[in-house]
Amino acid sequence: MRLFTASPNQRRTVYFSLVAFLVFFPLGIMAYKLFVLDYPLAGLIPAVSYSTDVTMQVTGHGDDMMLRTYLPRSDFRQTVTEEANASGAFTLTFENDGLNRVGVWRGERVTGTHTLHYTYTAQGTHVRYVIPDHLEIPQVYPAGLKEYLASEEGVPVSDPLIAQTTAQLFPKGKPTILEAVTTIHRFLQDQFANRDFSGYTDALTALKLREASCNGKSRLFVALARKMNLPARLVGGVVMESGSKRTSHQWVEVYVNGHWVPFDTINNHYMELPANFLTLYYGDQVLFRHSTNVNFQYHFNMNKRLVPKREVQNKLRDSVLNIFNLYDVFQRIGISANLLKIILMIPFGALVVVIFRNVVGMETFGTFLPALIASAARETGLVWGLLAFFTIILVCSFVRRALDWLHLLHSPKMGIMLTLVVLIILGLTVLGVNLSLFDLAHVSLFPIAIMAITAERFAIMEAEQGLGKAMKIMLATLVVITACYVVMDSLFLQSLVLAFQELLLVLIALNLWLGKWVGMRLTEFLRFRYLILRGEEVK
Amino acid sequence: MLDWKGWIEVAKNWSRLKSNTHRVLAMNRRNLHLIYPNNPRRFFPQADDKIYTKEIMEKAGVPVPKTHRVYRYFYQLESLESDFEGVKDFVIKPAHGKQGGGIRVISERQGNDWVEVSGERHTTEDIKAHIYDIIFGIYSFDLHDQALIEERLIQHEEVNWLSPGGLADIRVILLKGKPVMAMTRLPTKASHGKANLHQGALGVGIDMATGRTIRAIHHGREVFHHPDTGREVVGAVLPYWSEVLSVARRAAEAVDLGYLGVDISLTPQGPSLLEINARPGLEIQNANLTGIMERLAEPAEGLFEY
Repeated sequence: MRLFTASPNQRRTVYFSLVAFLVFFPLGIMAYKLFVLDYPLAGLIPAVSYSTDVTMQVTGHGDDMMLRTYLPRSDFRQTVTEEANASGAFTLTFENDGLNRVGVWRGERVTGTHTLHYTYTAQGTHVRYVIPDHLEIPQVYPAGLKEYLASEEGVPVSDPLIAQTTAQLFPKGKPTILEAVTTIHRFLQDQFANRDFSGYTDALTALKLREASCNGKSRLFVALARKMNLPARLVGGVVMESGSKRTSHQWVEVYVNGHWVPFDTINNHYMELPANFLTLYYGDQVLFRHSTNVNFQYHFNMNKRLVPKREVQNKLRDSVLNIFNLYDVFQRIGISANLLKIILMIPFGALVVVIFRNVVGMETFGTFLPALIASAARETGLVWGLLAFFTIILVCSFVRRALDWLHLLHSPKMGIMLTLVVLIILGLTVLGVNLSLFDLAHVSLFPIAIMAITAERFAIMEAEQGLGKAMKIMLATLVVITACYVVMDSLFLQSLVLAFQELLLVLIALNLWLGKWVGMRLTEFLRFRYLILRGEEVK
Repeated sequence: MLDWKGWIEVAKNWSRLKSNTHRVLAMNRRNLHLIYPNNPRRFFPQADDKIYTKEIMEKAGVPVPKTHRVYRYFYQLESLESDFEGVKDFVIKPAHGKQGGGIRVISERQGNDWVEVSGERHTTEDIKAHIYDIIFGIYSFDLHDQALIEERLIQHEEVNWLSPGGLADIRVILLKGKPVMAMTRLPTKASHGKANLHQGALGVGIDMATGRTIRAIHHGREVFHHPDTGREVVGAVLPYWSEVLSVARRAAEAVDLGYLGVDISLTPQGPSLLEINARPGLEIQNANLTGIMERLAEPAEGLFEY
């Protein structure tokens, strides 16, 4: 039945009006957001976070074992999310130790070598303080700050050498707070050599040698500050950067008028702290403690990740467009913003697939399968995603051939295939966890039914057109998955579409345009090259 | 696609290729300018359902292989033994099969067994299981299907000389009732007796006026001889050529599809229609070294380009 008929002219008018609307209407909303709601363009630049894997390795000889380390907390400056523990037979408990959070792993009668992982994602912000120059050093502090003025192991505030140094540094006696911290910072930064030494250095040793690593300099800073009646404390943490590292870092905070102001005299951070400094603990602590004779090893593996900022969305709240505020809608029903991001990116993946099919001319398994696999591969990472996809399809199609030999009816056979996909996915997850390949473990997010159908198609193609052809299409599918992944993983696009969801209408316009495109596909140039060039010389 | 030498040729000749694309009918244009406007979706079953196609053709007086029987339901298989009494050879086809999938050609009976043209022996139970699979929809991708049992065509001896390895067919592409281009597809050992170019059958272009074979391709490359027999396949004249074109015209007239491929086989008695295709492929252009666009007198009507 024909729903409606139309002359070519009418059809043309409708087509062009639709394309024009789908381009100009979203552009209008974007302009409104940018110029009336004053969206900050800086909000489109992604923020940096680090996924961190603290790896600890121990070897046991049949005794009970204990490991402890400080774990970061979220505060005004840093955000710690997605924490996960994978410690095998070791049980993890959390303890509070003053301001600090401690992870304690205990194992009973441990033999052999074990690797423990604690992972989290951390995002920091850069902070900078300004101390008014007239601020005097107070005579008295609240009782709670007493410990930050006292002598302690390694920080002998009342040692004559410390008093002699402050006397030299402040010959006129009473400096302001700013003068005091500036002088101490410059003294340690400029007159002490940095040493790359991982052992313990106390304040006096550092002072005598005129050189120290971060912990020696920090202890001396604290000792001098406390001597000047400025509450000060050591801070331990890591400098986040991509790669594997075994070094932690220490710096100093001085209490000024209700704020703890940071100083790092190794890297010359004066009253400021960069965004990639992650605080793990306060006070003069040892980062890792463990039972003796366990051959303890550790390292931090960090990966820099970019995440889209969401601040721009807040602008929407106060405007008439707020009914389209997807963030609020998703938040109200408790669905994560991450899922929203994935959903918003799927049309981009679909566009990539359309281009590969109709412009490049690559045949893939399933029309939009590559876009779906690419979105599922966000959690596994591209390489593991491709490998898992390839393995699942190959194993399932092999089993399908075996089932074919048994002459089973179609639906029960597909039921078996689906179950098999589930089993393989569970197997890969278990394998991933046991081999500490946590990215691989996320393979459980793969679209199970679609995988089973794809395996079926692969098997049919292999039977009808040979393994070569099936593998060719498999390869093309992997290529298109990769392309979808790259586009869907683009933080620029993510940030853009999170801020301007109306861009999805432009995607419809692009598809309308591609839907009328009758040009030759790239692979057709290969296929018909002799026909097109017939009678002419082929170079 | 992994043909890197081919890609180098494409790159080197890019500007000349780009400026001559109008000769070729490519996939996007075929779909948008020929199939969608000429073949409304509701008429697709006329081509996709082989039983329906045969009904239409029989009514229009187009010669088709005789139907022995159609199995629609599982219970009908109970009478299979008696149904096949006295039958020596036959072909089993799924009504909705694609690219020759599920077709079995039985050439003789030996005792209780049936022998396929390939030489493979099947018991009656095997045949029953195969028909069962067809009805269940194995070859039509999840649709409940019907199994068509029909007469096995004997090939004209001149065609048999060209194609001793299996039943050759002649594909004629027609637009609005007018034949546009033709080729014959010759099965090979590699294609397991199937006239399917992807599986390794030869594609042989035909001069429309005379029925003479003008060019042959095998896996996309030009050849002159049959890979199995070594016989020359270019320069032969197909018998009954004007009848072939007339059967193709009558078949196209009998259906509501404006752009279609008609597959015909040549028997000693003349052409017989095997099936029709509402989405005929593009490789026929390579077999003829001629683009379909070059044969279309005027651009398709009722379309707009941007």
